[in-house]
Amino acid sequence: MSSSGAPALELTDVEVVYQRRHRSSVRAVAGASISVKPGQIVGLVGESGCGKSTLARAAVGLVAPSAGTVRFHGEPVKPLGLRSRSESLTGLQMVFQDPQSSLNPRRTVGSQLADALEIVRRTPRQGHPSRVDELLEQVGLPASASNRYPHQFSGGQRQRIAIARALAADPTVMVLDEPLSALDASAQAQVANLLVRLCRDLEIGMLLISHDLAIVNQVADEVAVMYLGLIVEQAPTGELWRTPRHPYTEALIGAIPQADGERSQPTVLPGEVPNPAAPPPGCRFHPRCPLAFDKCRTEAPPLLTVETGRTQACWLQRSDEPA
Amino acid sequence: MSALVEVEGLRVSLPGPNGPVTIVDGLDFTVEEGEIFGIAGESGSGKTMSALAMLRLLPPRAIVEGRIAYQGRELLALDNKSMRAVRGNEISMVFQDPMTSLHPMLTIGKSLTTQVRQHFGMSRAEARKRAIEMLAEVRIPDPEGALASYPHQFSGGMRQRIAIASALMCKPRLLIADEPTTALDVTVQAGVIRLLERLQRENGLSVILITHDLGVMSTAADRLTVMYAGRIVESGTTRRVLQDPWHPYTQGLLAALPRPDRSDDELVPIPGSPPTPALLPAGCAFHPRCPKVVDACRTAVPPLERIAGDRIACVVAAPIVTAEPTVDMKEGRS
Repeated sequence: MSSSGAPALELTDVEVVYQRRHRSSVRAVAGASISVKPGQIVGLVGESGCGKSTLARAAVGLVAPSAGTVRFHGEPVKPLGLRSRSESLTGLQMVFQDPQSSLNPRRTVGSQLADALEIVRRTPRQGHPSRVDELLEQVGLPASASNRYPHQFSGGQRQRIAIARALAADPTVMVLDEPLSALDASAQAQVANLLVRLCRDLEIGMLLISHDLAIVNQVADEVAVMYLGLIVEQAPTGELWRTPRHPYTEALIGAIPQADGERSQPTVLPGEVPNPAAPPPGCRFHPRCPLAFDKCRTEAPPLLTVETGRTQACWLQRSDEPA
Repeated sequence: MSALVEVEGLRVSLPGPNGPVTIVDGLDFTVEEGEIFGIAGESGSGKTMSALAMLRLLPPRAIVEGRIAYQGRELLALDNKSMRAVRGNEISMVFQDPMTSLHPMLTIGKSLTTQVRQHFGMSRAEARKRAIEMLAEVRIPDPEGALASYPHQFSGGMRQRIAIASALMCKPRLLIADEPTTALDVTVQAGVIRLLERLQRENGLSVILITHDLGVMSTAADRLTVMYAGRIVESGTTRRVLQDPWHPYTQGLLAALPRPDRSDDELVPIPGSPPTPALLPAGCAFHPRCPKVVDACRTAVPPLERIAGDRIACVVAAPIVTAEPTVDMKEGRS
C-alpha cells in the first residue's frame, strides 16, 4: 500500500442532522470518523439511505456537519457559503454520480475544462489549451474531445470528463460519489482502472462512495461499511472481504450475485433499512441481524479497534464481554 | 414447453438527421412457456427498444419490421384496439425505475385497480380484492394499508414489488422486466429476483428479463441472448453462455467483472466503447474492439449461426465451436 503518514482528509465524529419542517429531524450521519491518506483509496459502502452520500457531501463542505470536524491537510473544511472558498481548499474535489447532470450539456468539453482551470488558477483562459489537452490525456481521451459536447460521448467517457474537470484543480483528495454505478461492466472496469492509476501516479487520496461492494473490493485499499448513519466495520479491503466480522458486511457480500452460470442464489437480507428519523434502539442493525441477542436490542455496540487496522461495532466479536 | 413468443427478423429504426437509423437489426428469439428468458447487453445495445417494440409502445415515427408472434398471433398486424387488449392483459412490463413507473399522485390502490376495471370491467370491490391478493403475492406487508398509500411512502425495493404486482393484476402470461433490479440495492435485488422465479415456478409465468448485469442473469435466467449494437451475437443456456462463452464480446463482458478471487489484479475492460447506432462500423460491429479480429470481420456482418440450441455470430469463434460438439444442450432447468 502506498499510503503512509498524516491523513490528507480527516473526518472525526461527524454528525449531520437534516431539519424537517413540522417533522422530527433526521440524523443522517450519526457520528462517523473516516480518514484518507495521500495515494490511498478508501471505499465507503452501504445501502441507499445509510448516509454515505451525506457523509461525502460533508467531507467537501456541501453540507454543514452539526457536530464533529472535517479537516483537509489539517485545515478545517468550511461549509460552502456565499463567499468563494479559500484557495487552500481547491485541492479537495468532488465527482458526482451522474456526469449527464454534472456537465453542462450546452458547452463544449474544452470550455468546461478551461472554466475549471480559470477559476482555480485565477488566470485568463487563453493560457490553458495545452493544459486542457493534458487533462484529457490523463483520463484517456483524445485532444479532439475538447471541441465536442457531453452528449457526443458514452457514459464512461462522460465520467472521464467529469474526472478530468476535477483534476484541473490539481487535487490532493477526490471524493467520488458513486462514480461507477451508472456505467456498464466494461466502462466500469475502464474507469475503475483509471481511478487506481490516478491515485498511484498523482498520489491523490480518494474517498470512493459506492453501494457496490464488488467493485470497491477491486479498487479500494481500505473499506468502511456504513449502516443507518454509523460506520459498523472498517478494514483493509482484502481482510474485510475474506473475513467480514460484522453480520451486515457478511450480508452485503453474500447478496452479490455471481455470474457463474450456476444459478447460485445470493442470500436475501430480510427487512428494509429502517427510517433514519426513528432508528431502532440498541444496535441499529439488530432487527435484520440473524445473530442478534438480547444485548443487541438494548445497548448500541461501540466502534472498537479489534486488531491493527480493523475496527468494528458488534457485540458478538468481543469475546471478553459477557453476552 | 412450446413457444409463447416467436420473434423473427425484428428491425427497429428511428428517423435521424441523415435518414433512418437502425437501432435493432434482425432480432430472432423464442420464449417458451414458463421460462425466464434473458436479454443481456450494454446500454445502447437495443434491449429496451426491442421490448418496447414487442408491446408496440414505440413512437409512431419508429419503423418496426419483422415478425412478433404471441401465441401464434401477429402483434405487428393487430389494430390498436386489439393491441390494447394484449398489453397489460396478456403481456405486461416492469420498468427499471419504479419511481417513474408508478404515478406519484395516485394511491397504490388507484394505480393497481384502474387496469382491471378497464380490461375486465371489474367492480371496485372485486378490483380491490385482486389488488390485495397481488400485493400479498409480492409480499408487501399490510396490503390493505398499502392500497391507501402513495409510492413515495415505500422504499425502492417495495416500490419495485408494487410495480410487479401492478403488472400482474391482469394475470398476464408474459412479463417483460426491463432492468428490474438495476435501481435497487444488492440486498433487495436478491428478493426481487426470487419473486420473479417464484412466479415462474408457481404460476407458470414466462418472463423476458432484460439486464446488463450478468450476475443477476446468472441467478435467474434459463436461457440467455447477448446483444451488441442492435444484433444478437450469442445465445444459449445461461450456464453454457456464462461458463463457456463463445463470442469474444461475451468473453470480454465476463472478464470485465470484478472478481473477488483476483481483486489484486487490474480489471480487464473491453477496449474502446460501444458504437453509436448511426455510425456502426462495417462488418461485425464489434470488430474495432475485438482482440480476435481477422480480415473477414471488417467486411461482412457474420451470420447468426445455429449450433444445436445455441446461436453464435462470429467467424472466428464458430469453427472452434463446431469442433466441440460435446456441449450439453440440455443444461439448465426444465
